[in-house]
Amino acid sequence: MSAAIAMPAWRRLPLGLTLGGTIVAIVLVLAVIGPWIVPYEPDAFSMRERLHPPSAAHWFGTDEFGRDVFSRVLAGAHYSLIMGFGATGISLAIGVPLGMVAAFHRGWVDEAIMRGVDLMISIPPVLLGLLILATTEPGVAKTVISVGIVYVPIMTRLSRAVALGLLAEDFVDAARARGDGAIRILWREILPNAWPPIIVETALRITFAILLGSALSFLGLGTQPPASEWGLMIAEGRPFIEEAPWIALAPGLCLCLLLIMVNMVGEGLRDLLDPRLQGRGHG
Amino acid sequence: MAEAPLVEIRDLSLRYATARGKVQALDRVSLSLGRGSAMGLVGESGSGKSSLVLAMLGLLGKGAEISAEGVQFDGQDLLTTAAALRGRRIGMVFQDPAAALNPGMTIGFQIAEPLIQHRHMPERDALARAVALLTEVGVPRAESVARSYPHQLSGGMKQRAVIATALACEPELLLLDEPTTALDVTVEAQILDLLDRLRRQRGVSLLLVSHNLGIVDRLCDSVTVLYAGRVVEQGGTDAILGAPRHPYTRGLLAALPQADEGKLSRLTPIPGGLPDLTIPDPGCNFRARCAFAVDACVHPQPVTGVGGHMVRCHRAEAVRTLPLPVDTGARSITRKPDLARPLLQGTELSRTFRMGGALSFDFRKGLPRIVPATEVVAVDNVSFHVGRGEVLGLVGESGCGKSTLGRLALRLLAASAGRISLDGKAVPASPDREFRRRAQIVFQNPDSSLNPRHTVAQALRWPVVRFGIAKGAAADREVDRLLELVRLPPTYRSRYPHQMSGGEKQRIGIARALASRPDFLVCDEAVSALDVSVQAAVLNLLADLRDELGLAYLFISHDIGVIAHVADRIAVMYRGAIVEQGDAAQVLAPPYHPYTEALLSSVPLVGSKSRSLHRVRLAGDASAVPPAGGCRFAPRCPRHMGSICDTVEPPVRLGAEGHQIACHQPMEALAAIPPALGRVA
Repeated sequence: MSAAIAMPAWRRLPLGLTLGGTIVAIVLVLAVIGPWIVPYEPDAFSMRERLHPPSAAHWFGTDEFGRDVFSRVLAGAHYSLIMGFGATGISLAIGVPLGMVAAFHRGWVDEAIMRGVDLMISIPPVLLGLLILATTEPGVAKTVISVGIVYVPIMTRLSRAVALGLLAEDFVDAARARGDGAIRILWREILPNAWPPIIVETALRITFAILLGSALSFLGLGTQPPASEWGLMIAEGRPFIEEAPWIALAPGLCLCLLLIMVNMVGEGLRDLLDPRLQGRGHG
Repeated sequence: MAEAPLVEIRDLSLRYATARGKVQALDRVSLSLGRGSAMGLVGESGSGKSSLVLAMLGLLGKGAEISAEGVQFDGQDLLTTAAALRGRRIGMVFQDPAAALNPGMTIGFQIAEPLIQHRHMPERDALARAVALLTEVGVPRAESVARSYPHQLSGGMKQRAVIATALACEPELLLLDEPTTALDVTVEAQILDLLDRLRRQRGVSLLLVSHNLGIVDRLCDSVTVLYAGRVVEQGGTDAILGAPRHPYTRGLLAALPQADEGKLSRLTPIPGGLPDLTIPDPGCNFRARCAFAVDACVHPQPVTGVGGHMVRCHRAEAVRTLPLPVDTGARSITRKPDLARPLLQGTELSRTFRMGGALSFDFRKGLPRIVPATEVVAVDNVSFHVGRGEVLGLVGESGCGKSTLGRLALRLLAASAGRISLDGKAVPASPDREFRRRAQIVFQNPDSSLNPRHTVAQALRWPVVRFGIAKGAAADREVDRLLELVRLPPTYRSRYPHQMSGGEKQRIGIARALASRPDFLVCDEAVSALDVSVQAAVLNLLADLRDELGLAYLFISHDIGVIAHVADRIAVMYRGAIVEQGDAAQVLAPPYHPYTEALLSSVPLVGSKSRSLHRVRLAGDASAVPPAGGCRFAPRCPRHMGSICDTVEPPVRLGAEGHQIACHQPMEALAAIPPALGRVA
């Protein structure tokens, strides 16, 4: 329900949200229509045009097989977006309710959830992702799910900590004095106030998820070549970083830009959803 | 005074840059303070009193613009030399002693540090001096206290240590910023006595910042009243507090509930709030809230006066005899509380809290051992009852269990033992909806009690719908009715908490509690966070609502003045138990429980200086652990009778009309105690 979203505050959009949102939206559109607007076939070899620097014909140059880097970046955008948003969505959907329930009930429920989380957090994320992926056939969907599960403990811990602070506030006691139940208190009193730190963490998590997804691809346990996933492209361009830096640089800069813009959107959303930052009503 | 004053401030102005523009925090403030004298700086929050202290210490951050005709300390320009003087010739004591002390250093070293730093004293001598200073500020067993860390000391002891630190370099001036606000009233009385003694013995000057007029009256010989950055009245304490002339000062005094005045029908609040300090008003900046304002008030007002009593008001003389307007409110019906049968009754309620986990490791005896957790009894076998339409005042120091008792009464906390009944029907541990509807709570902190993401309408509408009082458009009308009940216009429906002042937020908190149409309210320090002018308005509102709706209150407060003002009956709590209970007039007059006597005589009252009151001072504070089985007040009791108090639980002695005192002293002895308040309520 998040009451705060329905506020008459759209006229005061934070600059970061406008700019970041615009660029993320452009990337989204390009990712969707990318395969149809690419100037060259992304996977077509052209041995005569190997390692060409950027030019009018090849905006981002060509790689060691003569493939057009611009086309490959465009065609690969959707992998990163699916990885970032999908995996983070999964970790949010599992982690936030777990953390809230742990904070609300305390006692043995809290102990059980948090010790499980400790167990997961004690395994390094890449290793945990590897563990999940190595036991099954590699594939994009499985990579997304694995990365999502890897970040569940962080979301659980964060939302538990945020909820614990909020549960000590008097307005929660006022809800208890009305006899409101656990779900209603969490939904109505806690969740709308818990969003700001969670949104910022989510934006950060999206960037980490994209990077982890790319790392897993590099290790051969995610997107498989010749797919043009950005992380995979950076890994493939690594041997040529001196003679043809554009191969790694083009997807790398795109990744950077996307990550920075996602972060800006996160911070902008946090400010937008905070009624305290909308100017005072009087005085 | 013949000699030159120690501090002379002429036309000090201060502007801060904020997000909303430049704020005029101080506007040509002048004051002078002689050697060995004490001045009180009073005003409500936002009046600029703390800014003035920080400016004198040179501790204002960047972005502060200071301009002044002159700020002199003993002939030196304080604005340029503050950094060299503070800690040496100017000592300072801030509000929160816990924050002022470094948790990682021993008390002794913190007191010795300025001596080592500023006076290059050898460490051994400095530590010896620290012990002597601790002894001087009344710390028992100073050697062992000097070796302890701040967390091992109580609040009062910490504040004594802070004062000792401030005194280390023998300053000529002590700046005290709300030095006792974080302390209990019996501890506050000890600190005030200490400050008074230091001033007499050492001849140190005091500049005391306080919102509490009683403290200023007790300690200071002159007063400066600040309003929105300007001096509005200045002069001798007796003249200003005895015969205030500026309408603001008069309003402050009229709004103050005093313990010795008993149950007045109405307080006189000051309407409105502080002016916008980003646009300084060239005329009188109080005129929007002033009952006597006329057109000529738009002109700049000079500070004028005779005999050292200065006032910034051109009408001070003209309106001197006119009374302040009385806040009449909606006193249509005055209901008598129905005391025949109690509305809410708590019987033998107890609650213990576990410290830390259920099991923990103890490393004290060599090998680690698993030990069960220690338990703290917050409420111990307490019985009380509140009649229909009655106000039971619950008074006690911090940590005595009064808030816990309030939450137990609402079943917000599970009781370890005991029963609660409403209208004679037992209330189960998880009460039904009807109990929830009938018993509600108002909280202390207006910032925490409202969900910052909910508008007023959202906050008020939900309980209306939840308890089936109204639906749809009828619920919206109900929200308007609730706003009207707490005297707010319907336009407040769409406001978020941050768009309201503290008093307005507190009204919404009250409206939310009333939304379910309860007949019992727990008011947990409901006015303690508010300025006195706003507090008066909220207290009047609560009194009106009681008359209109026949509400009963369990009114919890540490402020005896507020309790004396609102309560029909008073219960005094000490370390988890009610030590005295009875009608308000009975509790405020002898016979007293010895603790009640000490509590009442610790209250700093305005105008008490002229009366020769007998003062009872308690040693230590409420953390003094009582002997097992004996009276819990025995370690601090000034009327200790010997071993019986330490070994036998005191009997409940019955006085007239249900007056109960738990004490070994016979009722006759307790009745012989002289009244602790100047006049009897």
